[in-house]
Amino acid sequence: MIKLEHITKNFKNLKAVDDVSLEIKKGEIVCLIGPSGSGKSTVLRCINGLEVPESGDVYIYDQKLDLNGEDKGRQLRNKMGFVFQHFNLFPNMTVLENLTLAPIQVMKKSKSEAEEIACQYLKRVGLLDKKDEYPNKLSGGQKQRVAIARSLCMNPEIMLFDEPTSALDPEMVIEVLEVMQELAQEGMTMVVVTHEMGFARTVADRVIFLEDGKIIEENNAEDFFSQPKTQRAQDFLKKVMH
Amino acid sequence: MFTAFDKVFTPENILYLAKGALISLLIAAVSLVLGLILGILGSTAKRSKYRIFRIIGNVYVEVIRGTPMLLQILLLFSVVPSLYTALTGDILRINTYVIGAIAMSINSGAYSTELIRSGINGVDKGQWEACETLGLSHWQTMKMVVLPQAFKIIIPPVISEFITLIKDSSLISCIGAVELLKGAQVIGAKYFDVMSPYCVAAIFYLIMTLSVSYLGRYIERKLAASD
Repeated sequence: MIKLEHITKNFKNLKAVDDVSLEIKKGEIVCLIGPSGSGKSTVLRCINGLEVPESGDVYIYDQKLDLNGEDKGRQLRNKMGFVFQHFNLFPNMTVLENLTLAPIQVMKKSKSEAEEIACQYLKRVGLLDKKDEYPNKLSGGQKQRVAIARSLCMNPEIMLFDEPTSALDPEMVIEVLEVMQELAQEGMTMVVVTHEMGFARTVADRVIFLEDGKIIEENNAEDFFSQPKTQRAQDFLKKVMH
Repeated sequence: MFTAFDKVFTPENILYLAKGALISLLIAAVSLVLGLILGILGSTAKRSKYRIFRIIGNVYVEVIRGTPMLLQILLLFSVVPSLYTALTGDILRINTYVIGAIAMSINSGAYSTELIRSGINGVDKGQWEACETLGLSHWQTMKMVVLPQAFKIIIPPVISEFITLIKDSSLISCIGAVELLKGAQVIGAKYFDVMSPYCVAAIFYLIMTLSVSYLGRYIERKLAASD
């Protein structure tokens, strides 16, 4: 469903992603983990074209993601939802408006239809009562749940999460992870950049460990956490699992 | 010094100056609005991916910002009629208020261009990215998400620009428009005392600028409520 072939991305002199290839199947849940600056977020951003790799190709459903090709690239991208570390809700709109903006503008849904769908998703993330609030009135965890609901309104087939709980107070983390876990159980294809090892272990089908822009180790979640093969992964896990 | 102070303070004279003040305010308001529209165009040009538009935007801002507004008003006042005559052979009777407002709009547009550009740059990059991932086009993003936030950022400097325009509207008196300052001069000439009407004019200017200032603070407070 998603295929990266030898992608490389530099930021000035820093090699953020160095010849990464990976494939993700439909319904699979893959966690990208690794130390800060290991390139995991950049890999994720390359998948939906927020970053364009200098070399290598990204394929979604065997079609090359080329955003210069306008429409086709955009259609491919619209199959993917993206959840940011810092939510990026629109502060000038209410929660409901945040959710209905893209369905109305991009999918050309009617306002009432878009609102109906938005309310369904808000109910699912447990925030229907907040629909008329502005984002600044919400807690971090609520903001992230709204952001997830906003992505779901576009009816994505793949969800990409970029450290969705890293900006949250510890007690807010669980409510977001629960929403993500539910999505996973429903069979959504998910790629998650995360520091939540517990989540990776219980929810992920596969864990990819990156360092210095390279994939160091790739394994199913249980094996990765119980018997990591590489020394680097062992060292990393020792530091983060406590 | 204030020989005709009591004579100047007749209801008719005060009304005459008040009318002048209203004209000043109107000219400033029109210039602000047209200037903001030019500013949107200018900042769009400066942010364009096409070099030619960026050059046009830059030249506009630098030329207008780099020359006195008085000169721009005088130039437009002389260029428009002679251009009209050259093109049509007729003589154009121009409305000095209209020419003045146009010149001031063009001038204000250059400042607004920079204002709006900085406002747009002040909107978090994550907002663009969120729109990108939701499939919104560049223009949809601009219109629905970025500009509304940028306008909030630029309200304080826009208020300053309005105050500057109210004061600078006095410059159009040099092409014969009778606004507040010119009105004061007219009354001054009538009573052989310019000091008294100048002082009254100053009070009118202050009433206008302080009101706008207050209005600006009120709007800021209102908008801050959604922060």
